[in-house]
Amino acid sequence: MIVSIIYLLFSFILEGFMSNIFSSTLSNISIFSTIYTVVAIVVIYPYFVNEKKFFLLIGIFGFLFDVVYTSTFPLNLIIFLLIGLVVKLLNSLFQDNILMCSLISLLCIITYHVVTFIVLIIVKYADYNVMLLFNIIIHSLLTTLIYTIISYFIFKFIFSKFNLKQVK
Amino acid sequence: MMLGKKKKNIPKKYVAIIIIILVIVILVIFSFTLRDDKKLNPVESFIRDITIYAEKIITYPFNYLSNKIDDYNDLKSVSKDNDILETSIDRIDSIEAENIELRRQLEKMKEELNIDYTLSDYEYLNATVVSRNVGYWYNTITIDKGSYNGVEKDMVVINAKGLIGRVIRVTTFSSDVRLITTSDTNNKISVHLTNGDYDLYGLINNYDYDDNYLEVEGISNTKDVNVGDFVYTSGLGGVFPSGILIGSVTEISTDSYDLAKIIKVTPSADFTDINYVSILKRKSSEE
Repeated sequence: MIVSIIYLLFSFILEGFMSNIFSSTLSNISIFSTIYTVVAIVVIYPYFVNEKKFFLLIGIFGFLFDVVYTSTFPLNLIIFLLIGLVVKLLNSLFQDNILMCSLISLLCIITYHVVTFIVLIIVKYADYNVMLLFNIIIHSLLTTLIYTIISYFIFKFIFSKFNLKQVK
Repeated sequence: MMLGKKKKNIPKKYVAIIIIILVIVILVIFSFTLRDDKKLNPVESFIRDITIYAEKIITYPFNYLSNKIDDYNDLKSVSKDNDILETSIDRIDSIEAENIELRRQLEKMKEELNIDYTLSDYEYLNATVVSRNVGYWYNTITIDKGSYNGVEKDMVVINAKGLIGRVIRVTTFSSDVRLITTSDTNNKISVHLTNGDYDLYGLINNYDYDDNYLEVEGISNTKDVNVGDFVYTSGLGGVFPSGILIGSVTEISTDSYDLAKIIKVTPSADFTDINYVSILKRKSSEE
């Protein structure tokens, strides 16, 4: 559990840190843009037997994401929980391997942006078009993939090295 | 005897209705919580301030290194910049004299018209950008000055090159700034164009994310606008003080009814490279 919390916390801080280093605006989206916390949710799921604890953890980080970064509580809290359900569903369909983990990460990032886009359009937060959504998703793919692969192997290594067990 | 609980199966049509109602309720909640005028509660404010300060400490060494690299790059172009500055140094004295005269005239006019302040009277508060547009959809930056430093909602934020945006949320030690490059139909900015002979007024109507330009509408077709003309805030509307540079005209077209001109304005500020900003505090009439 503690390893998962540290990894989620690291990913959460990485959001702000990377936004500072690789600045990104809607007209100039960086290829280093992804939602690191969402990738972390995908990577930690196979290490949880107790799903209540998993959803509690992503709920807390969804709340923190809202409060610290976007000031949109409870939008990200709900999206993160929704992504948790997507991760659960996809993990029940596919085997846990690097390829599937990367695929699930990409699907979750797409889900995050599509849901955010739809909600912001419905509540008339701003006037966005589908091309912008497409652009953001395209620019997220590479970093999502790299971060998933790195995290997947580090997690596997830590769990086998220290003989850690799944969270019950 | 087994007293096992009977599991009630809810019919599918009710499940669908429950989901639809739930989605509607959530959307109604979002329509309230995603508004700019939403105030952060003390818990949100506290968590945010703590995290932002922690992040500031973590990123400090990297920002320091990045600034040093930028300084080194700037140093390489010092000689070239010096040549340009030397050619304009002769004009400084005359500009300074003109400024003093204009200031004197302005003060005199204020006295005659019995007004204490103008739309262009404001003071500066410098701030550092601590976080930029996390989540990608909100087009905001976070700065390290908050209500403790006298920052209030709707204050205007600029940098050396021009207008950046306005403060939309304030906590004790930080603030969120919505960039002007947001197609926000609820908050249009009144602008003033000048080409030497005419004073033209219009509204920023839209921002094109693909080609990076602001769309200015509402300018009469009878007046002349030229490519290269500068666009400033007009001071009308009560939020933005007058005379802040927004950008320059890059293209002029006419609307579909051939009644008004649509002017494409390229922002003067580089929104991908904002490290330091200034918050404008409009002087109150008592000062």
